[in-house]
Amino acid sequence: MSSLQKAAAPPVLTEPAARRTSGPAYLRYGAGKVGGAAVSLLAVLVTGFFLFRLIPGDPVKTMTGGRPVSAEQLAAYRREFGLDLPVWQQFTDYCGKALTGDLGTSYQFRAPVLDKITEALPNTLLLTGTAFVLYTALGIFLGTRAAWRHGGLGDKLNTGLALTLYSVPSFWLGLLLIIVFSVGIGPIPGLFPTGGMESGGEEGFAYVLDVAHHLILPVITLVAVEYGQTLLVTRSALLDEMGGDYLTTARAKGLRDDLVRRRHAVPNALLPTVTLVFVNLGRTVAGVILVETVFSWPGLGGLFYQALSVPDLPLVQGLFFFFAAAVIVMNTVADLVYPLLDPRVGR
Amino acid sequence: MSTHVHGRGPKGPRSRPRTVRLVATAGAAALVFSAGLATPLDPAPRQAAAADGDKVLTVAVAQSVDSLSPFLASRLLSTSIHRLTYEYLTNYDPKDAHAVPGLATKWESSPDKLTWTYTIRSNSKWSDGQRATAEDAAWTFTKMMTDEGAATANGSFVANFEKVTAPSPTQLVIKLKKPQATMTALDVPIVPKHVWEKVGDFSEFNNDKKFPIVGNGPFVLTDYKADSYVRLKANKGFWRGAPKFDELVFRYYKDQDAAVAALRKGEVSFVAGQPALTPAQAASLKNADDIKVNDAPGRRFYAIATNPGAKARNGQKFGDGHPSLLDQRVRHALFMAVDRKTIIDKVFQGHAVEGQGYIPPRFSQYFFKPSASQELAYDPEQAAALLDRAGYRKNSAGERLGKDGRPITYRVLCHATDPNDKAVGQYLKEWWGKLGIGVRLDCLDNVSDPWLAGTYDLAFDGWSVNPDPDFVLSIHTCAALPATPKDTGATDNFICDKRYDDLYARQLAEYDPAKRAAIVQQMESRLYDLGYMNVMAYPNAVEAYRTDQIKSIRTMPSGAGNIYGQDGYWSWWSAVPADSGGSSDDSSSTGVVIGGAVGAAVLVGAGLFFAMRRRATADDRE
Amino acid sequence: MTTETAASPRALAWQRRRHSAARFWKQYRTHRAGLFGLATLALFALLALTAPLTVGSDVQSVTRAPGQPLESPSGEFPLGTDRFGRSLLGLLIWGARVSLLVGLLAAVLSVAIGAFIGITAGHFRGRYATVIMRITDWFLVMPTLVLAIALATVMSRSLGTIVLAIGVTTWPTTARLVRAQTLAVESRPYIERAKALGGGHGHIMSRHVLPNVMPLVLAQTTLIISSAILAEATLAFLGLGDPTVVSWGGLLQDAREAGAVSAGDWWYLVPPGIAIAVVALAFTLCGRAVESVLNPRLGVAR
Repeated sequence: MSSLQKAAAPPVLTEPAARRTSGPAYLRYGAGKVGGAAVSLLAVLVTGFFLFRLIPGDPVKTMTGGRPVSAEQLAAYRREFGLDLPVWQQFTDYCGKALTGDLGTSYQFRAPVLDKITEALPNTLLLTGTAFVLYTALGIFLGTRAAWRHGGLGDKLNTGLALTLYSVPSFWLGLLLIIVFSVGIGPIPGLFPTGGMESGGEEGFAYVLDVAHHLILPVITLVAVEYGQTLLVTRSALLDEMGGDYLTTARAKGLRDDLVRRRHAVPNALLPTVTLVFVNLGRTVAGVILVETVFSWPGLGGLFYQALSVPDLPLVQGLFFFFAAAVIVMNTVADLVYPLLDPRVGR
Repeated sequence: MSTHVHGRGPKGPRSRPRTVRLVATAGAAALVFSAGLATPLDPAPRQAAAADGDKVLTVAVAQSVDSLSPFLASRLLSTSIHRLTYEYLTNYDPKDAHAVPGLATKWESSPDKLTWTYTIRSNSKWSDGQRATAEDAAWTFTKMMTDEGAATANGSFVANFEKVTAPSPTQLVIKLKKPQATMTALDVPIVPKHVWEKVGDFSEFNNDKKFPIVGNGPFVLTDYKADSYVRLKANKGFWRGAPKFDELVFRYYKDQDAAVAALRKGEVSFVAGQPALTPAQAASLKNADDIKVNDAPGRRFYAIATNPGAKARNGQKFGDGHPSLLDQRVRHALFMAVDRKTIIDKVFQGHAVEGQGYIPPRFSQYFFKPSASQELAYDPEQAAALLDRAGYRKNSAGERLGKDGRPITYRVLCHATDPNDKAVGQYLKEWWGKLGIGVRLDCLDNVSDPWLAGTYDLAFDGWSVNPDPDFVLSIHTCAALPATPKDTGATDNFICDKRYDDLYARQLAEYDPAKRAAIVQQMESRLYDLGYMNVMAYPNAVEAYRTDQIKSIRTMPSGAGNIYGQDGYWSWWSAVPADSGGSSDDSSSTGVVIGGAVGAAVLVGAGLFFAMRRRATADDRE
Repeated sequence: MTTETAASPRALAWQRRRHSAARFWKQYRTHRAGLFGLATLALFALLALTAPLTVGSDVQSVTRAPGQPLESPSGEFPLGTDRFGRSLLGLLIWGARVSLLVGLLAAVLSVAIGAFIGITAGHFRGRYATVIMRITDWFLVMPTLVLAIALATVMSRSLGTIVLAIGVTTWPTTARLVRAQTLAVESRPYIERAKALGGGHGHIMSRHVLPNVMPLVLAQTTLIISSAILAEATLAFLGLGDPTVVSWGGLLQDAREAGAVSAGDWWYLVPPGIAIAVVALAFTLCGRAVESVLNPRLGVAR
């Protein structure tokens, strides 16, 4: 994922989460969160619409690619895409249609935006989903270990490596992996494909393997730059927890040290991580643009980039909305899940 | 950073294995989810995979398909695919590009040049078994004339058509409103009527849902996945003879460098030179085994265009080009400060030829070299003196002042996607900086907007020149200007010069090739003197292929020419597989190994979750 | 709080601050990673500041490039040459100026916006705070990279654009943190006293709240610079930077465009990436050290 994502990455729990965890209070809390998310989504729709109108460029002239076109023909195109209407009317039309799931027609592909998005979405999800599972698992696992042995050499190496990889630009790491493991350098043979998602023409299980083969390098890149955050959050949450009085109590009761950690400290410490996990999932979908670019992965990121250069307004708006929606929905899920997991909140 | 996360309430004393379990389940769900996605991604039944021994030619392209509908597609990749899958009326000879039979075997025009009669061959069949007839052609043209949606891509060819009829299956008659020069170069794919008449809205039908796509070219399109690949199968019944390769695959790479890496590895057989390979790529590929770099004289010119004060045919002026550029001496001085040789040596590193006249030397009969007296050779001192003489002098700070007394800074429009623009731009900045002139590089993904609006001072410009230079000459005539500022004209950069126009009219009426070529050279001379189009270089077509996969392939022109982006389908139709053949065998076996490794990695991840989960439950039981 | 005696309150305040700075440094020194980060930063800052003397601005010149294009490392050019034949070592040093400057400016912009919004939202409460925090929450969930790419596309390609694009997309975190801190500060009794003595909004925010949130702002700035440097590289790599300005991200973009990846010209690709990673890491280490000094409970560096 990108550095920009990291900048805003702290998964901030919106305010002290909930007053109570069950019954009508929770329902009210949940409704508030969902309502807030709906407002956010609407705001995204509005921003997307107006922000991209600022891109210099007349989409109709771009569409005709500089071919000689008369003013009448240009006007006809504008009518076809509704660009002749006043902006506010374009806006209400857009919102009205968006509510029914119609995000307009792409200028350059002449296909419904929703079709283009659903075409690329599974590819992006495959990449981010696999990476997400791996980096979350790795982050939690290593984070727990680092905290258990905190201060030791293992912890220092572990945390140091995580911080270092966390500072590496993902696109650069991707390029290096391509040089070393795709093109092959010195005695290392090029083991992996240089890009794309499939060789094409494979079927059944061979197809699955082929896709998996293409998946390895981009997934490694994403995992490497992403797991650090999960690791650090898990580690510091666990350290935080280990200072708790109740642990001393538990130890005083004669429970074994590792048991105390495992049964008491770890589960509690995982709470912030859970939030992070959901927030990350949303962000990774939007942040995968770079890795997709480097590995020619046919996903949403590449589509966004192509759309921006035209500018293919309906497609850009649709993707922007989609990316933001992914984050908003995942944040809301995190907000909703958190009080269920942590009944202490508000007691 | 991640450390601000936990502003939480008081700590509860109870353990919460529930959490761990939930995480584990979520992880497992995500795992199943993503694993599930890997398989049923495309519901369409795919064509039988390339059987063993099938010869597959894979071409790496750095462009995505805009549409597979011949009525909508305008990108080079898409139109190349249409050339391969639909037979056009005529084709271009690979040697000298004169019109040769395609779907039409012969053609003739009436004495007034308003009625053209084409004889349609009887041995061309659609891939679904039906015969391709004049009726299909008539229907295709008529559709484009009557349906605005169908005229999107190639409407300009039929704008001048009066009526198209098919009196018999082998005869096509086109009646024109006025004579049209392109009647033997109608680059319009003829589609099967019986398939396409069922299409409702041509402006939104992309022809990418049902495969194989019925066609009659040397290849049949069998499969397509957006931003991934386009697969074509050889048409064994093609009238000119079946292609030698059994399959042709265009595979998409987001950037040229990834495509080159894929060629080195043998993942692909060919890298399209669009954009041309960079010098570093060409150099590294030249040393590689089993790879041939095709470095052929290009058909493009690469120029720096100046804004001559954009105006429309109705005389209305628009745009905001710098007024000093209206002075011919300034334009000459600017070009004299451009060291073309350095551009060839450093930017193109020899993969280009130094610019002279407007038309590249590949078209030798039209190639023009300025005489010694008119040549604007590289001479920065002369350039500075010329600017002084024109009244643009330096101030004490070394800045050259415009007539308004303000230092001159030119906006140079450049294509953000073209590394050469950015590189040459940096040289220009320094060369013109020495003259005391500032340069601001405006690099945009999409230059067409400021370009069409005339809101630039200078711009990087380039065109591919056709064997018949009529088009690239026509775009500098006054007639090509937009009718009003609101229209888009065919003009390249708003040049309008009386003398040039007279010459243009004369060459159009001249039927003797040698005399016409002489007039064309005069036009180039005039263009050179005007200084609105300063050709810096003719970039080569640089592309590469694997000789262990492709034994031979035809270039166009056949002596030394390009392979990708030809006017006909010669390259792919003529390509002969090397004996060792297929590229995909070994990669799939390593694929199995590696795929297994990835599966294992995913399983380890899952195992980790479940291990943690089991441990948690075990604790519960204690 | 100190009681006011004969000495001027201002002098007292300064003295107090000097003391706390000394205390801060004493604790900071115990964080080895933080010291390492600081030393690295000092080194890079030195390189960047002295670049006009050591490599000179001539290193950017394409017309006076000393070598042949894409030479591999040699005695004359320790890191080889770029596509114009310029020394990559020189460019790397020169590029540090731009990368550090952009990172610094963007972070300052981001933190300034965040601090302003956070303090006002914490101070004024009521409807204003509700609205502002809603907006903040909303910005917080925006996909930042997507938004920054969009902004950079909308505006012309220049360093200012990049600074702006990073600055306006990364402030919400700071705003939230600063607001929380402001609320805590304002609940202290001496603010009450200041109000009773007739201190206006401006006085309270600038004289009492701001100094108290300053340490937090400092830590936040350090951390955001790290992201901003990465962000600058990202945007430049996506071709949204100014092509005539040499920055680390721009060098990577040049390398890819020139075909260094497929040609295996590692010397063009590896050093700028390492420079980015090292500086980003150094800022992160400093930020974490500052954070843990200010809030030892966080346990980051334990």
